[in-house]
Amino acid sequence: MKCEQIGELLPDYLQGNLDEEQNEIVELHTAQCADCRDEVTIWKKLGLLPVEQPSAASRARFEAMLHAYQTGRSDRLSARFGRAGRAAGSNIFQWLRTPVGVVAWSAALLVIGIFAGNYFGSRPTHPVANQDEIAAMHTELTNMRQLVVLAMLQQQSASERLQGVSWSQREEHLDPQVMAALLHTLRFDGSVDVRLAALNALSRHAGQPQVHKGVLDALQEQQSPLVQVALIDLLTEWRDPDATQRLRNFEQTPNLNPTVKQRAEWAVSKLN
Amino acid sequence: MKEQERTDAENDQAMKLAPDEDLMLEVRNGAGETLGVLFDRYHTPLYNFYSKLTGDRTLSEDLVQEVFLRILKYRQSYQPGTPFRAWIYQIARNARVDHYRKTPKHITFEPEMAPAVMPKDSAQHSEEAELLHRALMRMPEEKREILILSRFQELRYDEIARLLGCELGTVKTRIHRAIQELRQTFRQIESGMINKDKNSGVTKFVPPRRAGNEV
Repeated sequence: MKCEQIGELLPDYLQGNLDEEQNEIVELHTAQCADCRDEVTIWKKLGLLPVEQPSAASRARFEAMLHAYQTGRSDRLSARFGRAGRAAGSNIFQWLRTPVGVVAWSAALLVIGIFAGNYFGSRPTHPVANQDEIAAMHTELTNMRQLVVLAMLQQQSASERLQGVSWSQREEHLDPQVMAALLHTLRFDGSVDVRLAALNALSRHAGQPQVHKGVLDALQEQQSPLVQVALIDLLTEWRDPDATQRLRNFEQTPNLNPTVKQRAEWAVSKLN
Repeated sequence: MKEQERTDAENDQAMKLAPDEDLMLEVRNGAGETLGVLFDRYHTPLYNFYSKLTGDRTLSEDLVQEVFLRILKYRQSYQPGTPFRAWIYQIARNARVDHYRKTPKHITFEPEMAPAVMPKDSAQHSEEAELLHRALMRMPEEKREILILSRFQELRYDEIARLLGCELGTVKTRIHRAIQELRQTFRQIESGMINKDKNSGVTKFVPPRRAGNEV
């Protein structure tokens, strides 16, 4: 048999799909033909390339992504099923649900907060803390958290930025600086996961004009279909009066992903 | 209480043995945490798919994360009864294509990612592995991909055909051509016809095309 014909059988030979007779044909040929034999050798040699293990951080990143995604979803669900009166309750609920590590971390931050309060506050330390001091400590703790969020959003690692975004959701009121950082993250972060998480975090603050504008503007800028769909969904959920026109313009974007385009059309019909 | 623990343990065991498709159906029905089991099964193969294809470990890890995020995001589009493995590789290919569409600055890459050294390997084996790695990296993307899919990801030819959107016969022909080219390149590097110097081979990168459904 010619090499050409053997070549047709070879891929199945290599994956062991041939019957006995055909197997023999290939083996008889390769015993005589050095070139074809070498092809089999090369295929076998490929087994020398090792299976590489992803870094240990990979699993942690996945967990963080899953957690951020699910928290984002449950936030949205609770927002949908009656916002009034549930905010405080769901906050405590969320607090209880968070992993032990995060709780331990908050405790550590509280200690830092107290020390920082005593150190910078330069007020005499009384054995009995009065109400004012507790309130001041609360404010300091909040400020510390915001600082942590801002610092984490600047991190190199996407999972740390993700964590930063989910931390920002702890506070009922969005600090203007944190909001600006989240909007910046939504526009420019390199990781789709982080941008999506930022969008989830911002979605609770539809009332804020900057958030509103930021989300509308993001629609034109985003390239990832995932983020585009999330933006469209959010605008639909907000029943945004300016959204219809923007979405119509957006639909005209050249090379738009068909799924995204379909979603935008659906949103326009829903908004009208 | 004890009974409860046992049932939990049994559930865990059952989950570890469950077919991918059943687990994906659970994810689809809202049990996001079940995705962890699928992550354990697939993240190493996917990472190897990307790292052998792109030669970039950091990018490979990012893309693996992207795949699992997409699974969550598009879980409703998983059709019950369809093979999960085919679906996840479809997502994996598309995630890579989208990445290169977004960051076209990576028009060339350095094929210099040294293969991980395995301590038990003999010196001859590790040298051969390195030459093979270099030969693989010199091949055009499309040929390298089909070799990786069939040799390292252990996908059957009919699965590859569906994934690439072509005929079974075409897949076999392309695999054979890829092997031929790899053999030639490998022997040329080995005999010194191609400079063995690590810094010599920068392959022109042609962005891959998308195939199949948009996921």
